[in-house]
Amino acid sequence: MDESIVVIVEQSSGQIAPITYELFSAAEEISKYRPLKIKAVVLGAELQKPAQQIASFSGSSVVGVQNPHLANYNAEISKDVLAGLLPELNPIFILVGQTTRGLDLAPALAVRLQAGCITGVEAVFEEAGQVCFTRSLFNGKIVQDLAPAAAVTILTVQPGAFRAKETSSPTDGSTEIRTSTAVPVKTKTLGIRKARQEDAALTQAEVIIAAGRGIGKQENLALIERLASLFPRSAVAGSRPLCDQNWLEYKKQVGLTGATVSPKLYLACGISGAVQHTVGMQGAGFIVAISTDPNAAIFHIADVCVVEDLTTFIPSFIGEYEKA
Amino acid sequence: MKILVSIKQVLDSETDLQVDELSGSVRAAGPAKYWMNHADEFAVEEAILIKESRPGTVVDALTVGPERAAQVLERSMGMGADHGLHIVVPEENYIGPMTIASWIAAWATEQEYDLILTGVMAEDDMRGQVGPMIAELMSLPYATSVIHEELRPEEGMVYVEREIEGGQRELLELQLPAVLTIQTGLNRPRYPTLSNLLRAKKEKARVIDSRTFSPVEDREKILRFDKPRKSRVGEVLEGSPQEKAAKLLEILKRKAFL
Repeated sequence: MDESIVVIVEQSSGQIAPITYELFSAAEEISKYRPLKIKAVVLGAELQKPAQQIASFSGSSVVGVQNPHLANYNAEISKDVLAGLLPELNPIFILVGQTTRGLDLAPALAVRLQAGCITGVEAVFEEAGQVCFTRSLFNGKIVQDLAPAAAVTILTVQPGAFRAKETSSPTDGSTEIRTSTAVPVKTKTLGIRKARQEDAALTQAEVIIAAGRGIGKQENLALIERLASLFPRSAVAGSRPLCDQNWLEYKKQVGLTGATVSPKLYLACGISGAVQHTVGMQGAGFIVAISTDPNAAIFHIADVCVVEDLTTFIPSFIGEYEKA
Repeated sequence: MKILVSIKQVLDSETDLQVDELSGSVRAAGPAKYWMNHADEFAVEEAILIKESRPGTVVDALTVGPERAAQVLERSMGMGADHGLHIVVPEENYIGPMTIASWIAAWATEQEYDLILTGVMAEDDMRGQVGPMIAELMSLPYATSVIHEELRPEEGMVYVEREIEGGQRELLELQLPAVLTIQTGLNRPRYPTLSNLLRAKKEKARVIDSRTFSPVEDREKILRFDKPRKSRVGEVLEGSPQEKAAKLLEILKRKAFL
């Protein structure tokens, strides 16, 4: 069989996760340098609808494997099913979302398939006749280029790195639904608990003033609060490290494991700009970043960059505001 | 209970970093500041909490790293870990996640641990691979991004909640022994105590030469490190702090945010 790129679809209860569409864009990018057939695999309990949806979006052949124990993600069954199925599809690259599930699955699956594993892929390029990949390190302050050194490589693709196509493929793909009867032995999934109450103030705010580790001391949160009080319909948020230290409630956390917000103005104070945070706020209309670190990754996405110590800058700003 | 905590010493990502052209590695532009990877601190704390609630529990802290990484083992022992294990590697070598996982799995297979803990991701290379790889190499169940755990050894299992997108949690039961990668925030890591630190200094970590493990071929090759190539699109405010404040105020007013 022809060599291929296999996209692992992420879905739950028939809802396809947005990253899936981005995976197809990443796959197309790879196929520019190495013309491989793009195929898709989807796992779950009920797959007729999502498999059809993916086939008509991508025009690819889609294999769905149904198992009642995959109503929720289960690493053990997923690995067993994929290790059985993937060799049949002869993939050179296997694309998985850099999501909490993708990151749970990919490294272990790589061991099982004796494949390589490159996580957090942000860009694809060609060098010396090989398809190579770029990823970020140190909260986005450094990038790294890698070349695969195994016959098969699993890639987890960073959400937001490849833009999903807005139109479906002109031709419908095909679907094939199989059934797996595997039963989990060592890993029992009990279900999902919904998020702690979402902070309506955060998702409805037009202006968000967000604090990160760079604020240094808990007392400095008072400065953030004062700054927020200048803006109508504003709310205070933070990055994960602040919530971990109990300086802010977790419901105020913006990022991968917190809220996704898209206010008109996002003012980032002492936030490094790690992708775990920026995935939750990159949809903001206008971004202002204040940080002492001129190389902070947050400055790459900010519309206005202020390299200053926020403990002195915010009081000056408030002073200027009151003067005016 | 016998617990292994796998930890890493990382370069502080807040410092000014540069790419060393000669070795092609990343280093601090000024004085280097190293510390224990944050998520790993939570993993050590969780192991110590288990030890306190279950007398007779032994906690081993293990790191793969150069000589300087001995410091994180000392810190773990200062927090209450019983032993430190140091797989020493040369300073500048790139070591792939598969190699690190293979070494740790080789060590752990002989020790019969009930639980293996590690941080969800290292702050420096941000790969997040070693934990699940150890589990797969040892055919153990695992969960990543664990934000809550309850050990039930009498039932031969551990109840786990892992954090997924948007603050939702996946609830799992894993058969023991198991591997958990720990998310930050599931406990409050303690400071090392003086008496424990003195004991750590006296007892020292056990050093294991990485050459005693069978070689593992890396499955990816680093081509280079670089500064981000994204061009900055935003406006950088210049001038004194006062001038910058006035400038920002003007921009925000012009945009009708104020």
